[in-house]
Amino acid sequence: MMPLLLAPLGLLALLALAIPLLLHLVRRLQLTDTPFAALRWVSERHQPQRRLRLERPWLLLLRVLLFAALALLLAQPVLESRQGDAGADWVVVAPGADLGAARAHVGDGAQWHWLAPGFPALTDTPTSLVTPTSSLLRELDARAPASARLRIVVPARLGGLDGERLRLRHAFDWIVVPGQSPAVAPANPVSHDLVVRHDRAHDGAVDYLRAAVAAWNVRAPGCCTLDVQPLTQPLPADARWLIWLAPELPTAIRAWVERGGVALVTQGVQDDVAAQVLWRDADGAALARERSVGSGRLILVPTVFDPAHLPLLLDGDFPERLYSTLRGPQPAPTHAAATAVEAVADSTPAPTGARAFGQSLRALDPWLALLISALLLAERWLATRRRGAGDP
Amino acid sequence: MSGGFIEPELRARLRDLRIAPRRAAGGDGLGQHSSRSRGAGLEFAQYRAYEPGDEPRRIDWKLYARSDRFFVREAERDSPLDLWLLLDATASMQQADQARPALRKFDRACTFAACLIEIALRQGDRFALATLGRQSPLLLPPGRGARQRDRIVLELSRCTAAGDWPGAVAENLIGARIAAHALVIVISDFFDPAALDLMRRLAGAGREVRALQLLAADERDFPFSGGHRFIDPEGGLQRRVDAGAVRKDYLARFAAARAELATDCAALGIVFATHVLDEAPERALRSLLVDAGASR
Repeated sequence: MMPLLLAPLGLLALLALAIPLLLHLVRRLQLTDTPFAALRWVSERHQPQRRLRLERPWLLLLRVLLFAALALLLAQPVLESRQGDAGADWVVVAPGADLGAARAHVGDGAQWHWLAPGFPALTDTPTSLVTPTSSLLRELDARAPASARLRIVVPARLGGLDGERLRLRHAFDWIVVPGQSPAVAPANPVSHDLVVRHDRAHDGAVDYLRAAVAAWNVRAPGCCTLDVQPLTQPLPADARWLIWLAPELPTAIRAWVERGGVALVTQGVQDDVAAQVLWRDADGAALARERSVGSGRLILVPTVFDPAHLPLLLDGDFPERLYSTLRGPQPAPTHAAATAVEAVADSTPAPTGARAFGQSLRALDPWLALLISALLLAERWLATRRRGAGDP
Repeated sequence: MSGGFIEPELRARLRDLRIAPRRAAGGDGLGQHSSRSRGAGLEFAQYRAYEPGDEPRRIDWKLYARSDRFFVREAERDSPLDLWLLLDATASMQQADQARPALRKFDRACTFAACLIEIALRQGDRFALATLGRQSPLLLPPGRGARQRDRIVLELSRCTAAGDWPGAVAENLIGARIAAHALVIVISDFFDPAALDLMRRLAGAGREVRALQLLAADERDFPFSGGHRFIDPEGGLQRRVDAGAVRKDYLARFAAARAELATDCAALGIVFATHVLDEAPERALRSLLVDAGASR
């Protein structure tokens, strides 16, 4: 149990204590009226001393207490009660780690928790096995009692990582046990089938595409098929990649793109600033742009699709470039060897004001309000009580 | 009537006190004092020629038979004294001690006046009283006997001390009434310099003057401490002082003023006595009266 102030600046209201003090402070010149006939021999040199005096000290005390309680209320006092032993070791187990190996490594007697949202005890089943490990570790680092030692049990193949290196303020043990973090099952590999629809003017360009797809198949045999048809042929149902070599883009194709397709079209809109530049030539001029349309993507090649206008077609890395363009951005890897991503200690001081882990705060406002009411009643009673003059 | 002013034990002690003027008294009638005036009496002094207005019975008829001229037989006799009591009735005489707020200086002055009147009455002297105060001036011309005493005491009991010192007109009015060889006793606190001036003029005009200074014990001791606002009852002048700090200075200055007054009185030939309210009245009375008798 430890009292805390959530808004310590509220204590500035204690400055208001000056109000009752000033009210009660009487710089009173206490003079006794004395008729005195022999006044002419009384020297006037010694003026009477003014004396500082506090009037009605009990009332003043009540008022000071009242103001102090109000200031305390502004500062939002809470009572902090810790759950569990603050200094105990915290063992967090990342899902996927071998529990038996972990127990052998750590031993019993500590509090075991899943490294999962909410840090459930090990006896509970975590709601989700796929966890953002780095984020949870940072949260734990921020919330755990300062003196606690973290023992982090991770599987050898650790998932849920992000690009940021883990830095922990607490003392910690990085325990790597056999196992592998569960991961979201990767979506079924989509067939990288390339559908090409072209008009007569682009008959020559198709050869470059055939060559590119052939290059893809050399790297991964059988992964790609090429479906080259005139414009009038409908698209296959499972088509994802389309190269539309025609001056016009029909609305049906645009709608297909909006449903999630990826299309490379030659119809260029040079001043389409919303599009992101994908390819540039040696002079830096934009050759291809990309624009999201609905849930799909539209790759705009502004020029006619032939080597004269697009020398890129002749480059050796054109197949790979086309492949990555059509595939789009890939998510960053989240899995790594646990030994490689071991957290490092962070020596910067912990930020203040964070709620420590394993603590619960109880607001004292109702009790303080009761106290203030009682003080107010007592103050009114004392102030209005019938008594002699001198009430400030 | 006079019992209101004189306590019984004080009255008992008045018995051996007598008022004796330094010089021979004038006036008419039989009294205890040697007189310079010639007239009817027991001890023959001289014959003198008859003057119109002399009583026919005072003519010595045997001498007329011998000399065929009217002679009046005169005798030396004890003539009664004219006692004038001048009471200060200014507001400063309202001063009382903090210990005894009921006893003011003016009350004590009335006691002294009553005592002196009792003595004068016993001696058969004539006595008169005047108060010196702007508020309630009192002027009771000389008279004799218990009736005069009762009248004065009655008037005194009605009198209160208020206001300041009367002007020169009132002083002159009183001064003109006082016979040339009267004995004048001034009872005052002599805080106002005008009181000394009045005595100086009376003494200069040939009256025998005696002074009784009345002081409150607070004025002598200054037992105050802390902040005080002293208010002069005459004129209402106020002075805010820290009493403890000024006490030493006040005592020195007040003692000096008293000494100066005594010196002035001595220089004028005025018998001077001081009475403080916490003392027995008899002592001051004795020093005022017996002192004069001893120096006679």
